[in-house]
Amino acid sequence: MSRSEQIDASKLKGVPTSYSSVGWSLLIIGVVLMLVAFAINVRHASFSLIMTLTYVATIGTGALFWVGTEYVSSAVWSTALRRPFEFMAGVIPFLFILVFPLLFNLHTIFTWTHKSLFATDPTMLVRAPYLNVPFFIIRTILVIGVWCLFYFLIIRNSKLQDTTRDQRLTKRNVNLSAGFMPVFAITLTLFTVDWLMSLAPNWTSTVFAVYVFAGAALGAMAFGTLLIVKLNEKNRFPVKLTPDHYYNLGAFLFAFINFWAYIAFSQFMLQWYGNLKDETAWYIPRMHGSWAVVSIVLVLGEFLIPFFMLVSRAAKFNPRRLVFVSVWLLVAHAIDIYWLTMPEYNSSGAVFGLGEIAFLFLSAGIVLAVFAWKAKKNNMVPIGDPKLERGLEFHL
Amino acid sequence: MSSATTEEVIDYSVTPPLVEGNPSLAKINDSIALPTERWPSKKYFAALSVTLTMLLIGVVALGYTLYYGIGMWGNNIPVGWAFDITNFVFWIGIGHAGTLISAILFLFRQRWRTGIARAAEAMTIFAVMCAGIFPLIHLGRPWYALFIIPVPNQHGLWVNWNSPLVWDVFAVSTYFTVSLMFWYIGLIPDLAMMRDRTTSKVKKMIYSILSLGWRHANRQWQHYEKVYVILAGLATPLVLSVHSIVSFDFAVSILPGWHTTIFPPYFVAGAIFSGFGMVLTVLIIIRKVFNLEYIITKDHLDKMAKVTLLTSMMVAYAYLMEPFIAWYSGSPFDWYTVVARATGHYAIGFWVMIACNVLIPQLLWSKKVRRNVAVLFVISLLINVGMWLERYIIIVTSLYRDFLPSSWHIYTPTIFDFGILIGVFGLFFTLVLLFSRTLPVVSMSELKGVTEGAHPHHNFGAGHE
Amino acid sequence: MSEKRLYGLAAIFDTPEKVVAAARAVAGRGFTKYDSYSSYPIHGIDSAMRLKRTRIPFVTLVAGLSGAVLLVLFTWWTNSVDFPLVIGGKPYFAWPDYVPLMFEMTVLFGAVSTVIALLVVWLNLPRNSHPLHDTEFMKKVSKDRFGICIESDDPRFNEIETRRFFEDLGAESVDSIYDEPVDISLRQKVLDPKFIAAIVVVAVVSSATTYLALNKMLLIRPWSSLNAQFKVNPESRSTFYSDRFGMRPPVTGTVARGHLPDPITVSDNIAAAEKYLVNPLLPTPHVMQVGQRDFNTYCSPCHGYFADGNSRLQGQFPSPPSLHTDSLRLAPDGLYYNVITNGFQGVMPSYARQIPRKERWAIVWYIRALQKAQNPNGPEAK
Repeated sequence: MSRSEQIDASKLKGVPTSYSSVGWSLLIIGVVLMLVAFAINVRHASFSLIMTLTYVATIGTGALFWVGTEYVSSAVWSTALRRPFEFMAGVIPFLFILVFPLLFNLHTIFTWTHKSLFATDPTMLVRAPYLNVPFFIIRTILVIGVWCLFYFLIIRNSKLQDTTRDQRLTKRNVNLSAGFMPVFAITLTLFTVDWLMSLAPNWTSTVFAVYVFAGAALGAMAFGTLLIVKLNEKNRFPVKLTPDHYYNLGAFLFAFINFWAYIAFSQFMLQWYGNLKDETAWYIPRMHGSWAVVSIVLVLGEFLIPFFMLVSRAAKFNPRRLVFVSVWLLVAHAIDIYWLTMPEYNSSGAVFGLGEIAFLFLSAGIVLAVFAWKAKKNNMVPIGDPKLERGLEFHL
Repeated sequence: MSSATTEEVIDYSVTPPLVEGNPSLAKINDSIALPTERWPSKKYFAALSVTLTMLLIGVVALGYTLYYGIGMWGNNIPVGWAFDITNFVFWIGIGHAGTLISAILFLFRQRWRTGIARAAEAMTIFAVMCAGIFPLIHLGRPWYALFIIPVPNQHGLWVNWNSPLVWDVFAVSTYFTVSLMFWYIGLIPDLAMMRDRTTSKVKKMIYSILSLGWRHANRQWQHYEKVYVILAGLATPLVLSVHSIVSFDFAVSILPGWHTTIFPPYFVAGAIFSGFGMVLTVLIIIRKVFNLEYIITKDHLDKMAKVTLLTSMMVAYAYLMEPFIAWYSGSPFDWYTVVARATGHYAIGFWVMIACNVLIPQLLWSKKVRRNVAVLFVISLLINVGMWLERYIIIVTSLYRDFLPSSWHIYTPTIFDFGILIGVFGLFFTLVLLFSRTLPVVSMSELKGVTEGAHPHHNFGAGHE
Repeated sequence: MSEKRLYGLAAIFDTPEKVVAAARAVAGRGFTKYDSYSSYPIHGIDSAMRLKRTRIPFVTLVAGLSGAVLLVLFTWWTNSVDFPLVIGGKPYFAWPDYVPLMFEMTVLFGAVSTVIALLVVWLNLPRNSHPLHDTEFMKKVSKDRFGICIESDDPRFNEIETRRFFEDLGAESVDSIYDEPVDISLRQKVLDPKFIAAIVVVAVVSSATTYLALNKMLLIRPWSSLNAQFKVNPESRSTFYSDRFGMRPPVTGTVARGHLPDPITVSDNIAAAEKYLVNPLLPTPHVMQVGQRDFNTYCSPCHGYFADGNSRLQGQFPSPPSLHTDSLRLAPDGLYYNVITNGFQGVMPSYARQIPRKERWAIVWYIRALQKAQNPNGPEAK
């Protein structure tokens, strides 16, 4: 079959209007709730905004990671599915807006800004050259800036190919993506250390950035799977995807569920076993009281239950199961971020208030609204990509 | 990143062939079975004599060790682990590339793995055998090894389930068992092919027994393929778990330089890195010696080089993270270990390790290097050196500066340490040479399945297996 | 001997397309006892043959999960029930430590069961006596051809018609495959002299080997467990010291822990002992336990468990007097301490080297308790 026969040009641009309307309403409610939350309790609301920032950043950069992975590995099967991930990565520039209010509240969020602690804790002095307000702000802007740079360059080449069909653009993106991978590793580490690890300044874990990466890749894959399967099942995807495409999406979800659990368990077990006070101080609040319940919910929600939901081969072919698991995992990813962040706000017990609701609305709103907006402007499949036909003919 | 001069024209719209020259099915049988059917060349015997000599050196060194005890080694408190555990971790790591190629790339449907999977799997098994020697001889009295197996005994004691060394026993033996089964299951159809083509009666009997009477029947293939997928699915997390558990040997302690949470993924990445180094070394030799360049193509080497580069970057990430967090944590002990590694008695080893594992693999960014077999061969050897040194540095430099400065001690290996090191390399390459003579080094049945025209065009439904 | 029996008809095809089409046709005709043959698995032939999906994954799942469960039960039973042991400050049931093991056992059980299920249960291997073995058909299939074989047991099988059917499908060649069962007689004469001789030889060789291994080889280094070491063992001779003792006496003036000299030398001054030595311990349960332990260890062999002189060594040594006499009951603590420390009249030796000072006092308390227990209303009670 030739390319023009395979692509339904009428569905190339845009998604059902409900995506956009739901996205925008969630976004507006989220913004309003977040403003109210800031009016009530600045510290609590700042933590909620950090959660939102992390959620959006992980989905966005996770999506960009998958786009880059496709180029670097010369994967073929996912060519037709690349655009939704590119759209999801479109949230990256908006991280500047999310991070902006936080940069004025650093003193209320981070204890390492409190000079009074330096006298009692000499280690604070050691890391003061790294953890200080000006350098922190520079790093944050630099990190998001680098993400934006790679996002714009990769997406621009991809879009350009729709019209020029130039094979060299693929080659260029392969090189760009190869360069992005190490840069992404370092920038994500900086982001993670700054915005999540330094919430508890005495706690350290070398694998923590990998943990956040596992969640990011899983979250982005879940969101991508949700959108792709939903659109294809509603017959709104411009090309016909086969169950084999579904299978691969499900397999990647399954793989990253396990990868996340592997990293999470390794980190926990080593710190539990080592039993050093600076390390266990991070886990002890999470293992007692109502936080323990959240921890159990997290283990069940992000590993055990989706593991058994996806373990069979048939499940990975089943669109309804995939949609269900994707939504489930997106919620689990939110719980994961909640579990990482909020015990540092209140270690004595789980908190759930306006800020958390705002976090959920705002995160979902941003990713959905940006996706709908990008989908309206761009082609849903990379029609100029040389690998597209091979990708559509993909069989296991 | 990109400039007009380096851009080559690659046609992304066509699938590159996995086997060069589109050989016929009969030719595949002939060329792969050939090394097992003719008397080997003089080169082969020259190589074998070298490896056997190395093996003999190892046997002598090991004999001394068993006779007089491990006092023959340089180990002394506080450096209680040295060459022995370095070798153990190194060889377990070598094995991981084999499982990665055979299982993980199988799951990812990277069909280029076909040409190299069999040899890589064989390497896995030999490497795990080599690795298994070390914990045993490090016991000092290896005949008491059964005490690490939880069987009822006269003391009424059980093994220490909290010890990662016990986890190691379970992990490594599981790994060996599963790798062996995976390899053997893959061999069965090939053994049947060898059975059907051989003219020698003795060989026929051996192949008949080993192939279990396989008949190439589709009702066999149907279940067989499913089991192969299942085994690949089990082997994939297994390979991650094995080196993670090896890393737990170090990381569950609270020793600076060992107790760090990145160890499990870092060890896995390092294992795959070193394993690919070794796979490259071995395959470059095999493809040359047995004229299999059309099956193990430069594309294969190119792809393996890319994986090597990727894992090198992962290792480099861990190299960056460790000092950063050691400094960031404000722990003087952690930071001292970092400084002692980079500037202490073993600083040369440390910097050679950085050069071999991080700097030299950066050459692989260049496509010219990736497709230059000679350069690739040298790089692969350097990676082996670097990764061996990595384990040595991790073990020795964390131990030689104890918490008590009065216990500080410079470890120096003895001639017996080196003898065993040489011997185990001899064992590995002897096994590789014997394997390449007696069994098909490339999976014939899989290779047949990826030649052009091997399958009818996709006109069937999605319900197939 | 039985006769040749037609096993089936085997057709050879030269391309995978043809064999898939042929398989579809064979299945369409309603044949059930047939199989297609190729030296690699061909895509799409399963659906062409209308094969059902394999159920092997269930074996893996069940075996894998039972591996994990058994491991948890085993670790729990060994370290929490059978021999509870605190290791590294971890709880008895230290579940995070068992997770890696659970995983390994899942994989081990799952993989081994799957492979055994495949080879033994599903494929019924090993089997080297199938009629298709050693046929031209099998050799061609093994090399570069594709085949289909329909068994004669199939109800729709008819040698002539099936052969024509194959030829219509474009078969390169069609072979008849015959089943030639071989009679193997397993009966052997038990009293065959060769057999008996073999048994005898095996018995002699194995006994000799066992004898040599256990009585000779195991005493030679290194099988001797490296017991012979280059060091001086306790109580062994030394060639280095002039007195030829391997064990060295302590430096003069060395005092062992708990064996500080007594403040008052009471060896020949019982009056002073009575006057100045007072039991420094309080009769706490712990002291009584120590006293009981030491009394039972050091005193009871001669004095008996109840200090009445009725001991298990009675008759072999001069029997000590009962400690329950009135005069001994009234004797001060110092007397007992003095006797334990210095011995008594050359009959009872000194126990100063064996029993630390505090424990001697604990024994005194225990003797007092024994005296009270034998006679609560003794003279000292008044």
